[in-house]
Amino acid sequence: MTTNIFTAALTGMNAAQYEIATTEHNISNASTPGYSRQQVLLSPAVAQQFGSGFLGQGVDITGVRRIYDQFLTSQVLQVQTQASYLSTYNTSISQIDNMFSNPTSGISTAMQNLFNGMNGVANNPGDTPSRQAFLGSAQTVVNSFQTIDQQLTSIATGLNGQINDSVTNINSYARQIAALNSSIQLATSGGLAGQQPNDLLDQRDQLINQLNQIIQTSTVKQSDGSVSVFIGNGQALVMGNQSITLKAVPSASDPTKLDIAYQANTATITLQQSDLQGGSLGALLNFRDQSLEPARNALGRVAIGLAASFNQQNQLGQDLNGALGANLFNVAVPQVTPNANNTGTASVTGTITDVSGLTTSNYRLQYDGANYSMLRLSDNTVTNLGAGPLSPSAAVDGFTVSITSGAMAAGDSFVIRPTANGARDIALLTGDPASIAAAAPINGSAALANTGSGTISSGTVNPPPPVTPDPAHPLTDLNLQQPVSIAFNNPPTTYNVTGTGTGNPTNVPYTPGSSISYNGWTVQLSGTPASGDVFNVATNTNAVGDNRNALLMAGMQTQNLMANGTASLGALYSQLVGDVGSKAQEIGATSQAQDNLVTQTVASQQSVSGVNLDEEAANLIQFQNAYQAAAKALQIATTMFDTLLSIGK
Amino acid sequence: MMRLSTSTMFDSSVAGMGQQQSLILKTQQQISTGQRILTASDDPAAAAQALMVSQSDATNTQYTTNRNAAQSSLSLAESTLQSVTDLLQAVKSTAVDAGNGSYNNSDRASLATQLSGQLQDLIGLANSTDGAGNYLFSGFQARTQPFANTPAGISYFGDSGQRNVQVSASRQVASSDSGADIFMRIKNGNGTFVAQAAAANTGTGIINSGSVLDPAAINGDSYSIAFGGLTAQAAAGNTGNGAISTPTVISQAAVTGNDYSVVFGAGGTTFSVTNTTTGLPVAGMTAQPYASGQSISFDGLQFNIKDGATPFAAGDTFTVTSPGYTVTDTTMATQVLPAPPTTGRVPYTDGGSISFGGMQVAIQGTPASGDTFSVTPSVNESIFKTISDLITTLNSPVAIPANGGSTSLDNNLNHALDSLDNALNVVLTTRSSMGSRLNEISSLQTTGDSLGLQYKQALSQLQDVDMTKAISDLTQQKMGLQAAQQSFAAVSTLSLFNYLK
Repeated sequence: MTTNIFTAALTGMNAAQYEIATTEHNISNASTPGYSRQQVLLSPAVAQQFGSGFLGQGVDITGVRRIYDQFLTSQVLQVQTQASYLSTYNTSISQIDNMFSNPTSGISTAMQNLFNGMNGVANNPGDTPSRQAFLGSAQTVVNSFQTIDQQLTSIATGLNGQINDSVTNINSYARQIAALNSSIQLATSGGLAGQQPNDLLDQRDQLINQLNQIIQTSTVKQSDGSVSVFIGNGQALVMGNQSITLKAVPSASDPTKLDIAYQANTATITLQQSDLQGGSLGALLNFRDQSLEPARNALGRVAIGLAASFNQQNQLGQDLNGALGANLFNVAVPQVTPNANNTGTASVTGTITDVSGLTTSNYRLQYDGANYSMLRLSDNTVTNLGAGPLSPSAAVDGFTVSITSGAMAAGDSFVIRPTANGARDIALLTGDPASIAAAAPINGSAALANTGSGTISSGTVNPPPPVTPDPAHPLTDLNLQQPVSIAFNNPPTTYNVTGTGTGNPTNVPYTPGSSISYNGWTVQLSGTPASGDVFNVATNTNAVGDNRNALLMAGMQTQNLMANGTASLGALYSQLVGDVGSKAQEIGATSQAQDNLVTQTVASQQSVSGVNLDEEAANLIQFQNAYQAAAKALQIATTMFDTLLSIGK
Repeated sequence: MMRLSTSTMFDSSVAGMGQQQSLILKTQQQISTGQRILTASDDPAAAAQALMVSQSDATNTQYTTNRNAAQSSLSLAESTLQSVTDLLQAVKSTAVDAGNGSYNNSDRASLATQLSGQLQDLIGLANSTDGAGNYLFSGFQARTQPFANTPAGISYFGDSGQRNVQVSASRQVASSDSGADIFMRIKNGNGTFVAQAAAANTGTGIINSGSVLDPAAINGDSYSIAFGGLTAQAAAGNTGNGAISTPTVISQAAVTGNDYSVVFGAGGTTFSVTNTTTGLPVAGMTAQPYASGQSISFDGLQFNIKDGATPFAAGDTFTVTSPGYTVTDTTMATQVLPAPPTTGRVPYTDGGSISFGGMQVAIQGTPASGDTFSVTPSVNESIFKTISDLITTLNSPVAIPANGGSTSLDNNLNHALDSLDNALNVVLTTRSSMGSRLNEISSLQTTGDSLGLQYKQALSQLQDVDMTKAISDLTQQKMGLQAAQQSFAAVSTLSLFNYLK
């Protein structure tokens, strides 16, 4: 009997000590991430049968368990990997959103000033300060494009660093999870079968949680207590105590980008990007391909459109020195990157032929051994380019490609980025104010001796391409500036044309107000010429006051030069800002909603597993009382024992 | 009731305060910048639209600058042409003065000196430059002096270029006018043709500048009006050597312009007159008795025939022509008046109109037989040549007949006055065209201003923050944050441990 009293009291004290220790453990870990509160499992000790019945033997400590809900924990994993994806995407896209939104240093203002500068030249074509002002604003446009491009490039460089860091972190977490698997296996397989190493499990869960914030994983619990971790479509990352090592490698199809791969024996196996969804790494890859690169391409397209349009129009004009205009800007050429696995010897170059056809997509030139094709990567549209050789005129979306040397082998491919370097490579080619071709290279005039009322317009240069291009100025006609005279016959209903390049036609019927085109120019004759009246079209000499071409250049601002004639340069840029802004808005809003979801899910999970200090305080009081009560019982037992002993004295 | 973990309570309170703070930061930024859209993601559609609207606004502002530029160059050119108008009017009144019959050669020479000064002024005006040294009237060749003296007179060295300015999105307006059109391309005569007396004319016929009757009938040919007739001549085979006097006109109204023959009858005692143009005998002049020296009159003509040493015999003939004029198309070398096959001449009436080829001219005074007048299509004559020619005319001494007035001087003065009128007309037309362009610019200015206002309003609606709302939001958010902070402070101190002693 007495033993029973002693034993029962002792087990009570023991249990209370356990409980106090566990409560203190809970209190200590109240803010430990991933910690699940623990509870001592008690059960009554097996009762001893006495003659008068079963007498309790006190309390048995059957174990310490963590309060844990598998469903809620996996839900937290799911919402957190998505939240991490969104918040990383949000942080990344906010950078470019802010960059494009800055109104004062923006490209929009710079382009506006450029056109204002050209209007200034049109108002004062002979005025060097006006021309200098235009060149100044042109340099500012170039600088703004280059500055934003540098920022985008440095974000891209930073992304590569972030991707490398992510891979390092994934590897580190995978190793730690594998190590914990091993410890947990050891702990559960020991003598204490059935007891869970709660804190190790919590640590492993926490690591899986952190891994999930980088990349979405799925886990399978094994019977030996270990957890297998898979990424993507079942690629194992951790199996038991083994983990594989991922690495960031240059992509074969496009060595300028990083792909994620792992080493299997000697082979490097690249993970498909579709296997790398969710988490911050998924966000970085998606941001790179879906926001950053398109934004840089779109910016490049505006820069190329601006530079090429000014170049073309300037070449149709005449500069202050009386020479035909030259290029004002450097225009980027398409960036061509060969696939690292190409077996052929081909080297490929691209040429932009029509800025209005350009898109913001990248392309892949492919050869299947029989036919060439061009794949537009934004929407996977294939343009068949035939069996080759590649026709120089076979333009796809405003650019052409040609094989400059060697040949493509079957399966070879090249990634072509027509506009990627547009903003990087735009540059002002001239510092000479005279090189702005404000004048037109030809001028129509009526002979002073004319007696009729016929008038001739000053004339315009026909848009390219010319019928017989001048080798030195491919955009204009060989005979553009040859003197041509139009002489009216008697009666003055027909005229004869004389001049190199015109074919000297005679008796051409005259219609008042009609356009007359020869040698790549067009003039309008109107009114009533008299017989013998002569009209001349010739080189525009000393024409420092001529602003015809400057007006045309200034007018390009409102022309729909881009996107197949549907958008002006300004509209294209505002579209870019709008696109980035709406993506940022979408991601921002979704990210906030996801964060709220995380908060709620974590709160649910914490409501089960989290430590409530008030609760622990109450428990502490309870267990203290239990201990004190058990001790009191022991004291009573001792007193009883003493009483018993004193009887014998 | 859901169980709460202590860390959840702290986390959610802190997260809540963080959210409130970021809201306050954003509202505060909106207030301090006055902008509703801080980054494009705040309102992507409005941000993109704002870019477009601000571009339109800036373009509109640029058009205002363009309009001001066009306005200032047009105003400058217009005021220069105003001076040109005044100058040409002064020149014209000098030319009118020069026709004063009481002026002598030296009076006219002094007028010529005055005109020389005015010509130099005019050249100066035509070579005007703007503030930047660009010539106003040299077309595209803004740095080339448009008018300069050459051995052939004042020539134009510019071109016919006309500079346009973009004054609105859809409108370009010419901001300059070529000097060739203003000073060089001035039709002489009446603008369609020039009627001019030959320099060698001896009569007093003065031709006016004429007018166009039928524009469709004008074919661009040159014509000559030649006066002839009033002659009398003995036939080569006459037996008698008596002479015929030069006929005189006794009744201009009866003159026919026809040709006549006076033929002696048997014995040389009678004569008959036949109108060879019509082929009919002249009424009352058949077999008239001949008396030497007796006046013979018919059809407004009077002459006599006097005996010579040898008497007249039957068949002796004299031809007499009645005065008048013929008009010939010299380009085609065909006679126009009298219309073939009619021969002879059209009788001349002082001041009567002469019409042919869609044109009408009138000659006043008394042209002499042999005088010619030309009617040729107008050609361009520079205003400088007109004035130089006038100076030359006034500097040439003329012998003024007793009855006053020199025919060639008057003809030259008429010609100069015509050309001056045409020049004035051209300048005024140019000025009125400039005026209407200036009007258009100022009406576009009004449109542009209100457009600018609309753009700014649209931009303000897109971008600007509603201050009242923002400040009220801020106050509300501030209260929210304060409440969160206070309640956090109050709640976070609540712990059962506080009571465990």
